[in-house]
Amino acid sequence: MSTKSTTAGGKAFPKSGKKGNRMTETVTYVALIAAAVFALLPLMWGLSTSLKPAVEASTWPPTWMPRHLTFDHYATVLNNPKYIRYLLNTVGVTLAVMLIGVTLSAHAAWAVVRHRFIGKKTMLFLMWTTIMIPGISIIVPLYLMAVDVGLYDTYAVLVIVYCASIVPTLVWLLRGFVASVPAELEEAALIDGCGRIAVFYRIVLPLLRPGLGAAAVLVFVTVWNEFLIGYALVLGDEHRLIQVGVYYFVTETGIEWGPLMAGMFISVLPVVVLFASLQKFFIQGLTGGAVKG
Amino acid sequence: MSHSPAVVRTGNSGSERPPQHRSALLKRFLPLGFFLPAFLFVAAVSFLPLLYALTQSFRAADHMGMGAFIGIDNYIRFFGESKGIAALWQSFIFVAGTVALAVPLGFALACALNRPLRFRGFFRTVLLLPWLVSNLVVALLWAWLLNGNFSPLAQMVEFIGLSLPNATTSAALAMPALIMANVWHSYPLVMIFVLAALQTVPAELYEAARIDGAGAWQRFRMITLPLVMNTTIVVLVLTTLHTFNNVTMVFIMTGGGPVGATETLALRVFLEEFKYFHTGIAAAAAVVIFSLNMVFSLAYIRVLRSEKTNVN
Repeated sequence: MSTKSTTAGGKAFPKSGKKGNRMTETVTYVALIAAAVFALLPLMWGLSTSLKPAVEASTWPPTWMPRHLTFDHYATVLNNPKYIRYLLNTVGVTLAVMLIGVTLSAHAAWAVVRHRFIGKKTMLFLMWTTIMIPGISIIVPLYLMAVDVGLYDTYAVLVIVYCASIVPTLVWLLRGFVASVPAELEEAALIDGCGRIAVFYRIVLPLLRPGLGAAAVLVFVTVWNEFLIGYALVLGDEHRLIQVGVYYFVTETGIEWGPLMAGMFISVLPVVVLFASLQKFFIQGLTGGAVKG
Repeated sequence: MSHSPAVVRTGNSGSERPPQHRSALLKRFLPLGFFLPAFLFVAAVSFLPLLYALTQSFRAADHMGMGAFIGIDNYIRFFGESKGIAALWQSFIFVAGTVALAVPLGFALACALNRPLRFRGFFRTVLLLPWLVSNLVVALLWAWLLNGNFSPLAQMVEFIGLSLPNATTSAALAMPALIMANVWHSYPLVMIFVLAALQTVPAELYEAARIDGAGAWQRFRMITLPLVMNTTIVVLVLTTLHTFNNVTMVFIMTGGGPVGATETLALRVFLEEFKYFHTGIAAAAAVVIFSLNMVFSLAYIRVLRSEKTNVN
């Protein structure tokens, strides 16, 4: 693995050579275009399927450009009240997780960065550890516990479990943003007679807005794309989320690829739109601000 | 946790404690009050189920209750009857295949994107797209692309005189298909992490090395590689964990089939509970998968520690 990657990376810094320069540049572009084709191939084929009549989707040889362009599959999906229900459920749960999760995490991150308190090291260590607990190893007990306490198949259980699973990551992410707020500002505010708690709400929180935005985006993408918890903790259509909903299209009616792909692309759209508009934010948050423009 | 700002400012409400004392108390416990809600929340939803699973794994548990204590019977049954060893092997192939392809690919693309290029933003966005879609969507897209009947890939294969069986139901091709789909989904994370690390390498270092007569290969070997090594290892561990614990993609793309050819450990845990309703065995399998995760994670924490001491 290392030899492969190093040779590829060795071409990365061409500024010095003159003859090698052209060559390296061409190779880079060819490699990038090949990779882009790889990245786009499944998406384009799915998109193509969603835009042509069912008959054309199962003809040989396959057609890339739909001969009869149609938006029927999208209409079918959007006229399906179940699908709309799944979408609205997902939006609601996502917003609730954003609100609760980001609030909890912002408070915790401030405490961690700016203060010392009893048991800080231990609790922080335990919290980081939970990032390493895979969903699959607790999903069975979670399911049984949810049934026990009567939370199975409710919005509440989804919000609670999603919050708890993402809060450690959010604290980790927000730590960097809190640290970038100058401590002198807080001290100055304290000297000016601002209360210790008020310092957080009046000084720190407003300056934390980019971090809160990044955290919200992370919540959105995570919850929107999650399948396992949504599958295990929900019974029927009433509280079902979009990913699981799309899956039930497969199992309930047998696979109809056209509407399936259409439904899928509708579910992907919000994430892509959000990402495209907030790309910098998102990547900075993910990598601790290391990637520039 | 009910601190009111008024307490801080006044402190003259006739209590025994002098104001400074109160303020000191607040100073001491306020941070704890800010941290605890998040911590308790996380602990309740993460550690409690883990203890629950641990207890269940030693009992004849079912949907009704805990059942009697049966020692390590569940573990023995999991590895014996339930093909636990085979599942572990499938997991290993799935992880090894993914990491061996996704990490070099992501690394190489990061190096390419770190150069001054035209359309760099365009390439970066397009190359990140696979990462934005969910496991479910990845599985469905690739299942549809790799079906033997109507896909353009089948057409290409036919063009060179072969025929493509339906990859997701072919014993020989199901695992490679799964790995391919997972590589497609995983390389962007490697790419973006390595790219981030590359951009923190100061340009002056290369300048200085160039003046000293170092060639492209030497500059890469001596400057780039050491500075991005830790990030690469971190993202390698992350990819390993994501793949190892991935249930959704396997469940939807192949369901573990054909004839168990793609039944990974994570999928097995899922099926034991939600298909076969063997709660006790599922709990034992969950404990096994959790322990393996901890082993991977220790490696991860080691790297993070050394990163702290070495780089910064």
